[in-house]
Amino acid sequence: MTRFTNLTRRSFLGSGAVAFGAASLGWRPAHAQATVNFQLSWLHSVQFGGSYIAQSKGYWDEAGLSVSLSPGGPNAPVEPPVVSGTALMGISAADYTAAAVEQGAPFKILAVAMQNNPFAIASLAKNPVLEPKDLIGKKIGMAVANTPVLQALCTINDIDINGIEIVPTQYDAAPLVSGQVDCLLSWATDLPVAMTLQGVENETMLMADYGYAVHSQTYIATEDSLKNRRDELVALLKGEVRGWNDYYADTDAAAALTVEMFPDAGLDLPTQKLQAERQVPLMFSDLTQEQGFGWFTDDTIAANIQTLGLLGREVSADLWDRSLLEEVHG
Amino acid sequence: MTRRDIECVDLAKTYESPSGQVDAVAPLTTTFTEGQTTAVVGPSGCGKSTILRMIAGLEAPSSGTLAIGAETPLALARRGALSMAFQDASLLPWRSVEGNVALGLKLARKPAAPEHVRKLIHMVGLAGFERSRPAELSGGMRQRAAIARCLVSEPELLLLDEPFAAVDALTRKRLNQELPRLWRDLGTTTLLVTHSVQEAVMLSDRILVLSARPACVVADLVTGSDAVSAQVEQALQEAA
Amino acid sequence: MARWLGLALAIVLWEILARLNAGSFVIAGPIAVADYIYMNTGLLGRALGATFQAAVWGFLWGNLAACCLACLVVLFPRTERVVNVFALLVFCLPLVATGPILRVLYGPGAGPQITLAALAVYYTSYLALLVGLRAVPQSWMDLVQSYGRGSVTTLLQIRLRASVPYLIAALQIGAPVAFLGAMVGEFTGAERGLGVLTLRAMRGLDVDATWAIASIATAVSVLAFQVFGRLGDWLQTDRPTLLLSAAQTKNGPAAWQRVLTAAAIALLVVVVWQVLMDVFGLNRFFAKRPADVWTYLISGSNATAARETLFAALGQTLWLTFPGYFAGLLLGAGLAAAVVILPGVAAAILPVAVALRSVPIITTAPLIVLALGRGSLGTITIVAVMIFFPTLVACLQGLRQTPGQVHELFQTYAASRLRLLRLAQIPAMLPAFFAAARMAVPAALLAATTTEWLATGTGIGNLMALTASTSDYNMLWSAVVVLALIAMVFYMAVEVVEQKVLAVYASEQVRR
Repeated sequence: MTRFTNLTRRSFLGSGAVAFGAASLGWRPAHAQATVNFQLSWLHSVQFGGSYIAQSKGYWDEAGLSVSLSPGGPNAPVEPPVVSGTALMGISAADYTAAAVEQGAPFKILAVAMQNNPFAIASLAKNPVLEPKDLIGKKIGMAVANTPVLQALCTINDIDINGIEIVPTQYDAAPLVSGQVDCLLSWATDLPVAMTLQGVENETMLMADYGYAVHSQTYIATEDSLKNRRDELVALLKGEVRGWNDYYADTDAAAALTVEMFPDAGLDLPTQKLQAERQVPLMFSDLTQEQGFGWFTDDTIAANIQTLGLLGREVSADLWDRSLLEEVHG
Repeated sequence: MTRRDIECVDLAKTYESPSGQVDAVAPLTTTFTEGQTTAVVGPSGCGKSTILRMIAGLEAPSSGTLAIGAETPLALARRGALSMAFQDASLLPWRSVEGNVALGLKLARKPAAPEHVRKLIHMVGLAGFERSRPAELSGGMRQRAAIARCLVSEPELLLLDEPFAAVDALTRKRLNQELPRLWRDLGTTTLLVTHSVQEAVMLSDRILVLSARPACVVADLVTGSDAVSAQVEQALQEAA
Repeated sequence: MARWLGLALAIVLWEILARLNAGSFVIAGPIAVADYIYMNTGLLGRALGATFQAAVWGFLWGNLAACCLACLVVLFPRTERVVNVFALLVFCLPLVATGPILRVLYGPGAGPQITLAALAVYYTSYLALLVGLRAVPQSWMDLVQSYGRGSVTTLLQIRLRASVPYLIAALQIGAPVAFLGAMVGEFTGAERGLGVLTLRAMRGLDVDATWAIASIATAVSVLAFQVFGRLGDWLQTDRPTLLLSAAQTKNGPAAWQRVLTAAAIALLVVVVWQVLMDVFGLNRFFAKRPADVWTYLISGSNATAARETLFAALGQTLWLTFPGYFAGLLLGAGLAAAVVILPGVAAAILPVAVALRSVPIITTAPLIVLALGRGSLGTITIVAVMIFFPTLVACLQGLRQTPGQVHELFQTYAASRLRLLRLAQIPAMLPAFFAAARMAVPAALLAATTTEWLATGTGIGNLMALTASTSDYNMLWSAVVVLALIAMVFYMAVEVVEQKVLAVYASEQVRR
């Protein structure tokens, strides 16, 4: 009962009052725990299929590491638990990480799961957006927060953003399907998949194909962890790489495992299979075939720095640290 | 039935209570003549108030019939021709004395008459307290305000449920003199529930003495002779 | 009979509406919903179990906290100012700010959900209870005092009993709110629950699932609402009495005393904020301290730019908040009056009202936006919808507080329902109405910021939502501070009006 996390597992004690008591008595969110927390960026789904494989096949156990996979959510940003040390490693994206570093978080990007950014413009087949210039005169549904992303795409492709009407929407395909907007800014792997499975014919234009180079699903940790908990990080990444290699070999199996591991997450197999399939070209490339999963080069870093600059984030190559990856693949 | 008499035929009230049926009022057959003042006296809890409440339309009789002329109590109330003073004054706490008295006109659907309101406040001895709120008044003053509220609409039927219980002796004496004059002028039919035999004799034309629960009439006396007081006392003792 | 007929009619209307909007992926009809529930009983059952458990614990803790605070204030009236300020401040904290903190504090598990459910209920309960504990006639208090007994005896013997109807109303308001709090709490990274399923369903364009979850949340909330209603009927056998209480001859504190008190409370808030963050060892990256906000907004090099951004956004937010606030209050009080005049209406209105308060706004907002657009009408409607429910319940309860004697008085004149409402019931409702108006202040601001995040992409709501991707926690905490200050000022303005009005209509409520 001395550890905070044990205390809170009991729903009875899971109250602010008790937490206050506990914390004021000096119990802190402990990072010296036997289990390592790995903070995912969203709810459980095949998006993290490789990690589930690593978990279920015991790749981490083999390395003497017990890993707990914490799901994310709309109000569960990854950066705070990683900064506080509640999570050893987290899944972020280069633009998020850059912003956090600008705000003083000592993060490093250790590996890159999505070589190609998953942002895409989704549209209906009968009114398609197939290349950036098709955007002109269209209504795009997106979170206003993502305006810099659209702005960057426009700048790279020499398009006037004022020719596009931005409609603030929730992250949901309904406004597109019901005709409130002509297209959506979304990930290529979720809303379009949902539309396809609901029988709505749609097109996606991957922004990465038009010069939007931002590493996504990146593995981040603090400088402090890099220094003091290097072995655990290496073991964690090693398991990830093995898991994702298995994923690549059989995405259907990864989808099936995801559905089986999280019966309460409301996942359905066809969706997970299609999503798993569509993730492959984002995560695996000639580069990863050559160097291994998660790899990045000075060139991809340079491309990222350039796009991040368009997003208003001035970063240097220091943000990336390949040493762990070299150790993993070495 | 040209007159507006109150005709009660076998009027009775029983309540359902957890411990069984309670007979509050035994079948009562009587007529309260128009323009007359009748005092109802009897031991505490004998069902006097229940009779009044049935006539006011607040409670439905369990059996028997009740007619006020050709009308029901509700019809009378709708014409603004009925008003009742309760044991507790039932003044609205957020209205001043003046406001509460004026409410009597408003509820009776009669036009506002500030002069009339003030006159009545004077009559019940509350001059100078027009702007006071009920909480600032003594119990007796509240009862007087409630009486003024009853009278202000000049009702045809006036039901008074122990309206003077908390009024001081001096004011009470004055009211006992003034009120009969007022309701005689107006031709009001008045029913008065009271504990005070002296008051009953002073104010009323007729006295109905009720027995303990269930209430039934043990004496029906006409005032006027000096012997009435003694007769009422006698009947009350027998009733108890 | 009328109740069931109304329900059947509502279901038929719902089905027709769904069929008319088929293909829009915004609404699913009752048949599709029933089918989905039947096919996914296990999944929904487990999710309901998880959310329900968190909601129940949150509900209990929240109401317990509310009871303690209200009793504290009644026993020690001097603490009222301070308690009010802290209660309001904590309630003002938006999920964007509390979510990460709670998750870091608790780690995995149901802690954040329970806490958020508790936070969602405690404030309304506290305010309602405080009104209830004061709804006591002066003579009863005098009685206790005449025996030389103090405020504890008054509390135990008199006030607690008097507060029961108000407590019941608070529980009725709290039940759906706690459920919603638990669902939204799952957005902070939960493994399971109806909130998790809602997110999944909405992104998966699975309208049947979205509406099935919304229906379940509504059913549970309506049931809880009814249960507490019955409990209230059972507890309150005697009719409310007339509350005669002498008007206060107010000789309030002098201006300098007020300023001093305000300054002292502000200082206390700053100290508590700092100390809490330090005691919990929360990282400064996302858990900002008073000094960070001061630097960011006042003394820092970019303070001017930050202030400009923040205040421009604030303008947009307030423009949305005020009309929504008044519309919501009016709607709540108006519906309560309608229910009193046409009691049959209650059966139709209340389930819808409960539904609107127990389903996450991310589910209902798309429908409202589809119907009314993203213009001011749609967004103000969302704000109004989010605050009208507590007002409705509080006002209904307030209307029922009309003393029995007054009912009888009006009955002897065969006064119409409308007249009774206007002359007796509405004045009797005022304390409850003003309590609702006060609790709606922070609720309206939270609603406006949520709406901005979901539908308009403007204002402080958008600024705060941005922090999820930009880690600009300085801006987030500055926004929280500014919102809290606005809520405080707005609250005090409502209070001034309230004290003036209640000094006439319910002087027992006026602070001594």
